Formats: sequence, C-alpha cells, structure tokens
Amino acid sequence: MSIDDRTDEVLDETLDAEWMDQRTGWRGVWNGIFLRMIPKVNWSFTLGSATLFVVVNQFITGILLTIYYVPSPQDAYDTVLYITNELPAGWLIRGMHHWGATAMVALAILHMLRVIYYGAYKFPREVTWISGVMLLLITFGFGFTGYLLPWDQKAYWATTVGTKILEVTPVVGESLLRIARGGDQLSAVTLSRFFGIHVWVLPAVLLSILGIHLYLVIRIGISAPAKREE
Amino acid sequence: MDELDQAAPDRAAESEALPPDDEDVEEGVDRRKFLARGTLSIGVVLAAGWTVPAAAYVFGPARKSDTTEEWVSLGAANKVPVGEPTLFKTTVVRATGWVTSEEEIAVYVLTEDGRTYTGLSNVCTHLGCRVRWVDDSDGFFCPCHNAVFNKDGSVATGPPPRALDAFELKVEDGQLFVKLEV
Amino acid sequence: MKSQDKRDYLKRYKEQKKNGIPFWPNALFKDAIVALIVLIALIVLSYFVGAELDERANPSDDGFSPKPEWYFLFLFQLLKYFPGSLEFVGVLVLPSLAIAALFLLPWLDRSEKRHITKRPYVLVFSVFMIVGVVWLSLQSVLEEPAPTQLATGDPVASLYVENCAGCHSEMISVPEGTDLIAIISQGGHAGMPAWNADLSADEIDALAGFVLSPRGNQVFGSSCADCHDASGLAASDPFTLRDALDDGGDFEAHADLELELPSGQEATALVNFLIAPDGHRLFALNCSSCHGSAVPFDGTAEELREVIRTGGGHQDMPAMGGILDETQVSALASYSVDPATAPSEAAGLFGQYCSICHGDLVPQAADLAAATEVIVTGGAHEDMPVWGEILTEEQLDALAAYAFESIEGSPAEEGRSLYAANCSFCHGDFGEGGVNPANPAITLSPISTAGYLGTRDDTTLRAIINQGQPDFGMSPFGLTYGGPLGEDEVGSIVAFLRSWQADPPVELPPEVEQAPRLGDADEVFTEFCSQCHGVEGEGGIGPSFQANEFHDSRTDEELFTSIDLGHAATAMIAWGQVLTNDQIVDLVAFIRDLRGEPDETPPVVGEVSFSGDVAPVLEALCLACHNDGGAIGGWSASSYESVIGSGDSGPAIDMADLAGSTLIDRLLGTSGALMPPQGMPQSDVDKLIAWIEAGALDN
Repeated sequence: MSIDDRTDEVLDETLDAEWMDQRTGWRGVWNGIFLRMIPKVNWSFTLGSATLFVVVNQFITGILLTIYYVPSPQDAYDTVLYITNELPAGWLIRGMHHWGATAMVALAILHMLRVIYYGAYKFPREVTWISGVMLLLITFGFGFTGYLLPWDQKAYWATTVGTKILEVTPVVGESLLRIARGGDQLSAVTLSRFFGIHVWVLPAVLLSILGIHLYLVIRIGISAPAKREE
Repeated sequence: MDELDQAAPDRAAESEALPPDDEDVEEGVDRRKFLARGTLSIGVVLAAGWTVPAAAYVFGPARKSDTTEEWVSLGAANKVPVGEPTLFKTTVVRATGWVTSEEEIAVYVLTEDGRTYTGLSNVCTHLGCRVRWVDDSDGFFCPCHNAVFNKDGSVATGPPPRALDAFELKVEDGQLFVKLEV
Repeated sequence: MKSQDKRDYLKRYKEQKKNGIPFWPNALFKDAIVALIVLIALIVLSYFVGAELDERANPSDDGFSPKPEWYFLFLFQLLKYFPGSLEFVGVLVLPSLAIAALFLLPWLDRSEKRHITKRPYVLVFSVFMIVGVVWLSLQSVLEEPAPTQLATGDPVASLYVENCAGCHSEMISVPEGTDLIAIISQGGHAGMPAWNADLSADEIDALAGFVLSPRGNQVFGSSCADCHDASGLAASDPFTLRDALDDGGDFEAHADLELELPSGQEATALVNFLIAPDGHRLFALNCSSCHGSAVPFDGTAEELREVIRTGGGHQDMPAMGGILDETQVSALASYSVDPATAPSEAAGLFGQYCSICHGDLVPQAADLAAATEVIVTGGAHEDMPVWGEILTEEQLDALAAYAFESIEGSPAEEGRSLYAANCSFCHGDFGEGGVNPANPAITLSPISTAGYLGTRDDTTLRAIINQGQPDFGMSPFGLTYGGPLGEDEVGSIVAFLRSWQADPPVELPPEVEQAPRLGDADEVFTEFCSQCHGVEGEGGIGPSFQANEFHDSRTDEELFTSIDLGHAATAMIAWGQVLTNDQIVDLVAFIRDLRGEPDETPPVVGEVSFSGDVAPVLEALCLACHNDGGAIGGWSASSYESVIGSGDSGPAIDMADLAGSTLIDRLLGTSGALMPPQGMPQSDVDKLIAWIEAGALDN
C-alpha cells in the first residue's frame, strides 16, 4: 500500500513517529521481532538461537580465515600453518572455526531432537521443520567440504574415502565420483571446488534457507512445551 | 482453508498484549531493565570476543616491521685487494607470510689500508641499474645512462641524484660481515 | 489433524502467548547467556585442545588410515556391515531413507497429539535412531584400539597391529589355500613390503596363523600363553602338538600341571593358529623329509588329498636287485651316500627308478654297504603317517593344494615358460640383455646377474614387470596396467628371476668382471661410465657430469652412494658389486673434475652459425625493437646484412676490429646501454660473441 492509500489516522501516526521511523518504519520491524510475546519455555528452547550464534561465529571466523588461506595444494597447508603459528590470534580464529563446526553440528542435532521431543514440527510449523532439515543437511555439507581445506594427511585421506563412497551408486557412481573430485584423483581441482562450495555456494544456500527458517519462527512463533494432555 | 489464516499471528493483538512500558509494578520494571542491560552487556562481551582477536589477526602482519637488521657473512676479508673495490655476493632469505624467497645482494667492498673496510651498493641511484667497477677509469660505471661514480661512491658524472648507498661492514676473525635489513 | 484440532491448537497457543513472556529482553537474555557459554567453550577448546593439523597431505603415502569427522563416523561404520555389492544399500539407500523420513516426519506422524508420551512410535523410533547412531559411532572408535593397548596382552596381535594394521585395518580375510607365509615374507602385491627383512621366520609363522585363525589366537591366549611364547610354539612339530592335545594331562611335559586343554573346534582353531594352514610350510615341515621339494603323483587333486589324509597305504620299496645290475646298484648306493662324488650316471638312474617315490630327495645312507643292501633287498620302509589324524581339515586342504600344484611345477617353473614367452625377446633367453629392439640406441644391461637381482627386492621387480619402463621402451605387463599378465604370473616370473640369483646363467660382461683389476679412475670411467654418461661425461642415457646443476645438487657422499648402490629401475647398476670402495672414491673425484667451466671454455670458433644459432636469438630477444619497420638506434636485426651493416653509431659489427664491435659493447654493457634491456642468457651472449669473433660469417 502506498503512502497515499493510508487512512488519515495511520498517516497521523506516521507523522507522529520520530525522524528515522518516518523514513524506515524500523519501529514496526523492531516490535514485530523483539517485542512479541512468546510462551513460557524452558532452557532447551535456547538451542536454536545457540545454533544461530555458532553460524554467526562460523561466518566471522570463516571470513577471517580466507584473508590468508590459499586453496591450492602448494599453499593450503603452509597458509594454515602460517595462520596457526605466525599470526596473532590466528590459532584462536582457526580454533573457533574448527570447534565451531563441531558445535554447529552438535547444537543443530540437539535442536532437532528438542523439536521432535515437543512435537514442534506439527501444524502450523511443517514448513519451518522442512527448512530446518535442509539446514541440517547443509551443515553436514559444510563439515564435509571444510574438512579437506587444511590439506593435511587426515583431510586428504578421509576425503579420498568420503568421495570414493559415491562410486558405489549404481550406474552413475563413477560420474558422481568424477564430478565430486573434478577428475579421477583428489587434486588441486578437488581442493579448489571444495573451497568454492564451502565459502560461496553453501553459505549462500544457508543464508537463504536460514532466512526462511527465521522468518517462519518469528511469524508463527515458537512452539510451547506440550502439556501432558495435549 | 479459513482456519489456516488464523495461523498468522495477529501482530496488533500481540503488541497490545505487551505490558505497557509504564507498568506500575516497580519490580517488573526493574527486572526488565536488569534483563535488558544484562543482555546488552553480554552482547558487548560477545562482540568483543570476536572483534579483538579479529583486529589482532587482521592487523598483525602490519604491526611488526618485516625487516630486521642482521649481520650477513660475505667471505674472507683478505680477498679484497687494497685499493680496488671488489664485488661480493650473498643471498638473503626473506620470509614474507608463508612464502620464502631468496634475494641476491651484491656489495662492493673497498679497503685502502687492509684494516678498515667500506661497503657500497652496486645499484645505481638513478634508475637502479647495476654499476660495475672499471679499473682503467678508476670509477663505477653505470651502463644505462653512462653515469660514473667515484671510488668513494660519490657521483662523478651523469644523472644520478646521490652517491651510491653505503653498507655498514665489520670484520670478525678475518670474515667480512655486512649489515643488511632482512 | 482435523480443522477443529487446528483451531483448538491456535486458540490454545494464543492463550499461552498471552500468559508468556516478552521476547525482549526476557527470552533474549537466556539466549545471550547460552551464547556466552558457547563462545567461552569455543575459546577454551581452541586454547587447550586447539585445531588439529596433521602432516602435510601426501598422496603417495597410502598407508594412512583415514578417519572422518566424528559426525560421519556412524556412516563410516555402517558401511562396514554392507560388503561388496550390498555397499550401495549402506551408502545410499539407508541414508536416503533416513533423510526422507526426516523430511516427511510431519506427515508420518499425523496425530494431533503433541506430548511425547502420546506419540509412542515417534519416541521409540527416535530413541532407536539415537542409540543406533551413538552405538555405531562408539563402535567405530573402539574397533581400532590403540596399538599400545593390544601390545600389552597379546604379542601376536601386537605384531599384527604394528606391522599389518596400517594397511589392512582390523583383519584381512584371505581365500582358502592362500600361501600366506610366502606372501608375508616376500610381499604379495604392489606396495606390500617383503617382511622377511624385518620379521623373523617364527614371527611370520605366527602372523600367518593369526590371520588365518584369529580364534586360535584367542584359544592360545587363554590356554597356552601363560607358559608358551606364540611365535616360538608356532610351526612346531604337528605330531607333538597333536599328542599334547590328545593326551591332555597324560602328555609328558604337561604331566605336573592341571590343565584344561581345548578340544573339538577350539583345538582345531588352535592348531590352525600354531601351524598355519599354509601348504608350502606344511609340505616343508611334514613331507619334504621323505619327498623332497615335490612329490610325483598321477591323479586328481581330490585323490591326492585322500592319499594324504588316509596315509598308510604306502608301497614298500621293491627289491631293486633284480632290476638293476651291479654297477648301477653301486652307483646309486654311492649317490645316496654323497651325490657329489657319485658316478655321473647315478643321477639319471635315480631319476629313472627312484624319484617316482622319492621325489627329488635323495635318501641319506650312512655307508655304501647299508645303502647297497637297502637298494638290493628293498623293504623295511616307514609307512606314511595317517595325516588325517594329525592335521586339521584346513591344513589338509592347503597341503593337498600345494602338493598338487608342485606336481604341475613350482612357480619358478611356470615363470620359466612365461619368461620365454614374454621377456626373452628383449632380455635374451638368459637375461643377458643386448640391443633393445624397441630402441636400438639403448643396450639393455643384463638382468640375470647377482648384482642386478641382489639390489632389487621382489616388490621392485614386480613393479617393473607390472608397470613397465616407458623410458626404456618396456611396456607394462601387469593386467592392472593393461598388460597380459596376472599377479600370479608376474609372481612366477619374479620367482624364476630369483632362481638366477643363486646361480647366474650369465656372468657380468668380461670387461665388467675385470673391473677390480682396473686401476685408475679414468680407466674405470672410460670402461663403464662413459657408455651412458658420455666419453667426456657430457651425458647420454645418464645425466651429464659437465653440468653444474649435477654437481651442485649432490654431495660427495651422495655421489658415492649412487655409484655404490645404483638406482633401482634404471640401467645404473650397483657398481659397489664390481668396484672397490677406493675405486669409487677415486671415481667421485674424477667425476668432480669433469665439471664444466663454461666461462673458460667458449664454444669452438666456427661452430656457431648465423642461421642456426645467432638468428633465432636475435629474433627472440632483439627483433621486437630492432626491426626494419622501426629500427631503434638505426639497427635492425631482421637480416644478416642489416645485423652487420646498420646502426646509427656506425655498423654494429666492425669487420676490421671484430672484438671492438658495437654489438659486443652493447651485449656486455661495456659502452652505451646494456642490451637487451630485459637481459639475455649468458649462454646466448657467449654464442653471439663467439660468432662475431669468428668473423661474423653469413653461415
């Protein structure tokens, strides 16, 4: 609805608002997100926001890591060493990203178990649930692609085995393997595409679906712990 | 699907349901204020938890100068004939970030008495060509623009703006050392 | 869920919200506290545990056993239960079903009930999934216990963990009848080392037993390990072992002990563990004392197995007196006393009359008289034991299979014919080498010398045969590399080659044989090294000794080692077999002297031609600026005439004073600007100057 369509009453209200609100309407958004009422809930309902917090942590530390990290077989390991040993707080940034990955998976799974426990996937939150499952799969995708990036022995061989698994798919197995690795062998091409997927593709997908997820949580409201008779 | 429309929460109703700010129960106000302040201060701590390491991490490489001064061995001092500048070469390993590179450094070493030594760069101060000692003309010759430097490094003829750069030298146990920024 | 239920829920929810709390700041405060805890946890973990970083990735080190991140462990473990063609079930079908179930959960559980006690299916299924995933993850962690844990209790298992588990993980399963001891000691396939270099024969026996009968190892651990050392008891005499097991407490050595000996299946497993069902080993242990290395047999494998199992029915040795004349008897008698001093026809006689039973084992007689008597009268012959009472079924199978195979010919004999068919064309019938038919410029050095074979282990030889030597025109022969030969066949060829090692059919070429008598390094060099490295050490098949890089990249010690040990898989043999250490030391010094001094040895005058050497350099480095279109400085490098004659400061080349030519000045930077500004390789500068000083000819 455009400004002209508003009733006088609403227009007055708008003009009464402070300068910034007149222009952005931020107060409405703020009220919708922060000043809403939610049912009384217990501590297990902080798992979602904790997961979100770790996602933010992964974005911040991940972006910081790419400042020095170079995704090539020659440099990857050296740059990781450089980040860990030479840069001030580099060990911390890398450590927080590394443990953040573990925390993200763990918290996401716990969050999901909580949703299952309280039956929170039921009406009217089915779509929220589906977007949540997608987010969990994306999280696994992050874990799998990120594991290779330091280009150390563990990473190399775990990814060799991990991608090899694709090969057992009937009919298209071999093509899948080649697509995942960008060739027959784990190589510079693999490292490069895993990096691209880890820092561009997955974050983009994650942000879109996370946006939907959060929008639905705010729009519908979080579930309440079910009572015994419900 | 009428009933589904009701799934949309009624924002207006919600806002109204909020306890008004001027709630007269003092305790409730205090509690809310406390919670708000607590939340904000935790927020500040969290932000600091990221930004402080991040700043150190980003600005770290800029904070300390990459170069340090170091005495680098050139070779035996008795290889320098009295009165004639002699070229010594040495390689310096520079580590920038995770990449190490080797750089060759050339120094003309001159002694007039066999005891004190002076070192001159072989890089012309004009455009950076390599100068060469030409014994016959008793000067350093730069082939790029025919500049000539005197034995002490000062400009004799040609476009260079200043004398050849000097290096600090020392002799220990018959070995020549040059002070270089590494 | 019915509409009414939905309506009810929304109504109830609205009520709950009304009685709830505001998101800001009450709920957010809780979230903030949890976030703070998480952040602190991350920092603490980073500080005290850190992010692991292994060795740099090494694609050639395939001994590394990979472990995925903890949250993929359950999947990793799951795959182990779906071997072979079922693998895709574990990899694809189950995870896909699980993911689909997650997505469809709201439609799988359609009841309007929300409390967990009202949704028993979901509860049971969830708990089942959680327990399953946790159990699989734990299983994956526990299945590979640290070597130290195993090493404390079970010496054989720790042998396995130390030496085998790196590649074979927890256990290898081998097909029945595998000649495991041979595989362990010689290295069975590419990448597997020959363990006989590191492990004792007893240890290899014990390992084979461990792999073939892990159960037996457990039985041994509980029943025998208190008194016996497994690797010492392994490969012990099967008779004694069987007696010990059968007699129990009556067995002499066990008499004082109150023992509960294993019986039935456990006993079998124990015997299998102690004496691995390995045909070769069993034959050597049980049969070769009478039959030598092979027994002649004219029947099927099943019949042979039956003969071994039932034993006993063994022909007495006939009286040979009526068949042989006196000379023949005395020849055979002396042959059985000492084959070396027997008359030459004795071996033939033995082959004709005796080997049908005796195989290639010559019975040992104390003196001529005794031997003569046995031969003439035949007789009192020890029966073949009833092996079926002594050996386990597995051992019988393995023994029969081996004995039958050895009738057909040992691997070495099979290798002989394979060699003749595949290798002799290039390497000669006796591995003597010669001109390489694939590349007449290369002379193949002999592969049948003790020196060649002694410096290459089986794995190397297998690799050479399997993968070929593309640089020398040898195509890959292994099936996996596109060749015609299977692993067994390659193994046979290697076995055949090995038979040369003890008894080389060709000695080293005469000139090589005389090497130790050669004195000076220059003689040695001319005789041997120059064939590959050039008369002046200029290089050829081998690297150039004049090149500075060659010298700069090697220390004297490394040079010595290269000569002494040679390089596997190249024509560089281990000269340490031929030359004395002093000679090698001299040779190293001699090679060092060959180092070229390019600055002092300008190219021979007249060797440099304008069209062949000079023009390409000019074209590459000068023509861009100095061409007919825009000749900077008035000089053009486009043709011979312009190179010689053009130039603002007079002709570039002064025919009257060649050495003082402007072109030389510019190239060296002695007067005017140093050219070309981007620099020219010193070798090219030398070339141009040599050409000018040789008269700047249009050649």
